[in-house]
Amino acid sequence: MASITFFSDDAAVTLIEVAQLRKVFRRPDKRPGLAGSVRHLVERKFVDKVAVDDIDLRIDAGEAVAYVGPNGAGKSTTVKMLTGVLVPTSGTVHVEGRVPHKDRIANARRIGVVFGQRTQLWWDLPVRDSLELLRDMHGLSDAEYGRNLERLDATLGLAELLPSMARKLSLGQRMRADLAAALIHRPPIVFLDEPTIGLDIAVKDKVRAFARELVAEGTTVLLTTHDLGDIEDICKRIVIIDAGRIVYDGGIAAVLAEYARERTMHFALAQAPMSLAPIGARLPGAVVSEGPSASQVDVTFDPSVVSAGQVLVAVQSEVEVVDIRIDEPAIQDVVRRMYAGELRDAPREGPDAPP
Amino acid sequence: MARFRRAAWLYRRFLGAHLRSTLEYEADFWIMSVAAVLAQGVGVIFLWAIFESIPEINGWQFWDIALIYALVVMSEGLSVLFAQGAWTMSFVVNLGGFDALLVRPFSPLLQVLSSQIGMNGLGNCALGAGLLIGAATHVDVDWSPATVALGLLLVVSAALVKVGLNTATNASAFWIKTPWSMFGFSMHTFGELARFPITIYGVGVRLALAVVLPYAFMSYFPASAVLSTGVAHWLGFLTPLVALYCLAMGAYVFRRGTLRYESTGT
Amino acid sequence: MTAADPVLPPRLPVPAVMRANRSMARTAFRSLVTHQVSFLFGLLATAFAALSMLYLWRAVLANGPVHGFDWPHMKAYLLLTFVASSLVSSYVDYRMAGRIREGDVAMDLVRPVGYQRARFVEALGFGVYELGTGLLVVVVAALAFGGVPGPAGGEALVFAASALLVFPLRFAVVYMSGLLVFWTQNYIGVQAGRIAVVTLCSGALVPIVFLPLWAQDVLAYLPFVGMAATPALVYVGHLTGSEAWRAVGVQAFWVVVLWGLGRAMWGAASRKLTVHGG
Repeated sequence: MASITFFSDDAAVTLIEVAQLRKVFRRPDKRPGLAGSVRHLVERKFVDKVAVDDIDLRIDAGEAVAYVGPNGAGKSTTVKMLTGVLVPTSGTVHVEGRVPHKDRIANARRIGVVFGQRTQLWWDLPVRDSLELLRDMHGLSDAEYGRNLERLDATLGLAELLPSMARKLSLGQRMRADLAAALIHRPPIVFLDEPTIGLDIAVKDKVRAFARELVAEGTTVLLTTHDLGDIEDICKRIVIIDAGRIVYDGGIAAVLAEYARERTMHFALAQAPMSLAPIGARLPGAVVSEGPSASQVDVTFDPSVVSAGQVLVAVQSEVEVVDIRIDEPAIQDVVRRMYAGELRDAPREGPDAPP
Repeated sequence: MARFRRAAWLYRRFLGAHLRSTLEYEADFWIMSVAAVLAQGVGVIFLWAIFESIPEINGWQFWDIALIYALVVMSEGLSVLFAQGAWTMSFVVNLGGFDALLVRPFSPLLQVLSSQIGMNGLGNCALGAGLLIGAATHVDVDWSPATVALGLLLVVSAALVKVGLNTATNASAFWIKTPWSMFGFSMHTFGELARFPITIYGVGVRLALAVVLPYAFMSYFPASAVLSTGVAHWLGFLTPLVALYCLAMGAYVFRRGTLRYESTGT
Repeated sequence: MTAADPVLPPRLPVPAVMRANRSMARTAFRSLVTHQVSFLFGLLATAFAALSMLYLWRAVLANGPVHGFDWPHMKAYLLLTFVASSLVSSYVDYRMAGRIREGDVAMDLVRPVGYQRARFVEALGFGVYELGTGLLVVVVAALAFGGVPGPAGGEALVFAASALLVFPLRFAVVYMSGLLVFWTQNYIGVQAGRIAVVTLCSGALVPIVFLPLWAQDVLAYLPFVGMAATPALVYVGHLTGSEAWRAVGVQAFWVVVLWGLGRAMWGAASRKLTVHGG
């Protein structure tokens, strides 16, 4: 089926078009145990859970979009509908003009998917065998396959993983192998669904560097995550979804500025300080307060004004520090602030104004 | 059609991919093969013991029924060898492995069916072949190249009936969301009723075996066509059509299931 | 699906041991009821098997009795061996094999209740369900096929003795085949093979009297007949008086011998586990 392309004023090609997309899961409303099941045979009551609630989305060729939201917001469900794994309850999805769940095989040739929590590899086969099976499914020539493999090896360090069986790989190794499996056919559209979940920081960095490279090559990327650290330097556009609805769709700068605006460091001290004033004097603009107990101090500061390192030095010059903790910025906070109207929508394409 | 040839090639490729890891479990292979032969062999002993005491059942003699049996054993062996993956459906669909299949450029159904190669099916095939040859030499049939060709066609068709029905019943995995294929298994044991001439059963069971879940076309009808005995034996010549019907039914149920797939389960 | 028994120190007072046993039995029973769908289809599968047996034998005996069996008595024989065959037919060896393969069996070594006895109690818990569903299928089948004749007179005592011995005998054989997993690592094949051999040799498929004389002579002294055929034969009046008591004696003999063999096997298996690490 030929792909239909849409041309906007900017002559950008819209590859992914989503309109009024809705997914409702129906669960039987029954009590546990044998009695409940029997009763359900007669009464047939169901509970509807709306996972994705009438969303609209357009992604152009070459865009790198971050699709972000708290756990259970509907991110994975959206991606599953975009890749043809789930059939929408209502609304439309078009990827290069095709409906994913109808033209599944043709669509599969043009996309690469990484599901963070599930693997694409064959469990009991060496990675090399898995990749060769994918090569055969995609009909790649030996030359093409060799070229693509080399390219992936350069960024992911694939060669060392090739002889191992998928079930013997660590989580980080498996993720690298899964990225290779998803991209062995050089698809123009790539979906990365929670690619860094559960990984340690070293592997996370590798994955992020890989994603950056993909974007630089012009691949259209949709990256879903609930870790905002994944999207820095990779995506220019961020779509925030919460409880099935898109609450923000626009430039990333405003969001990062907002979420990075305030950090809090928690210090555990050797003994309760006499007074917090000396610390406060060294950090103008920061808020120094007592923590949950007298020998704990919290410092809330703006990282663009004073760095975490500077805060640490300031505190250590006044008191003896035993332990430190810095709060991870949470997407929930950004969403909360969205609802509180603290985050203004930057120019974007089309979705509804926030509720 | 080039697409059909390509699909067949990919199917063989998938079957072969697991061959190496399957063969690693050598001890397993022998135990499973011996067990399969024992299980079927006991059935043959049972038949033989009965026929030592009586000359015929409903007009069918020992080697006639042995022919039915041979078809069942052969179909079982072939379907285990080439489409054992059908039995993994409940597991794959309900424990999260299905998503990966849906984003690959190859039919998800064919991927599932070819995901396992049941080497222990060879035991059944050997026993089935032995029984077939034994039956062929003892029954009252004029064997010519034409009848032998017909016989082989019927054997293959019978196996395809089994594969189709295995697929259709195991596709219940999309509706009965447990990781075990209990529905498929219970329908398989229903199909075991087709080991004997269906004339021994009541009308309801006969209809179920001939029309609803046509297991009788895996064994009884093809056998009666070859032997020219039994009720409406010409029906047996329809076996290849029934095989296509069962395969189509399996594919249809699987496709309906795919459309309502909810991708739960980690 | 593991019973969440805490690891207790050895030498418990008797009531606590009894409680541990009862809870194991209850857990076994309960784990089945929670998997209701599987339970129903498993039941259906066994019902189909019973169905095919009944239809087939009706056709076989259509022209008159064979080897002393007429159709009404054959019905009774088949239904009784069916109930017997459904005891200890799943769960215990399956769960044993699972735990052995996963390595959880090391935990079982330190439990206060002996391994074999523990498995027996589990089997009892499950056996309640097996007996219940077996009787259910049998009653329905009996009604569908026109009822069964009552028991042959005067043998109530020997019948009771024989029937009671079926369960421990079946358990002993299943237990030992489950232990084989320690050596073969394969469970499904071993189980399938056991089921095939036991079904034939216990007379559940065809009464032993249909087999050649030399087979009958051998099987009469093996444990298998006592697992199904013996009580059924007493019921239909084919085993009477001293002959019946001798058969019961063979049953009892094998219960004792196989229980002991089972202990020996367990000893060998646990030695293998502790020395080689399983």
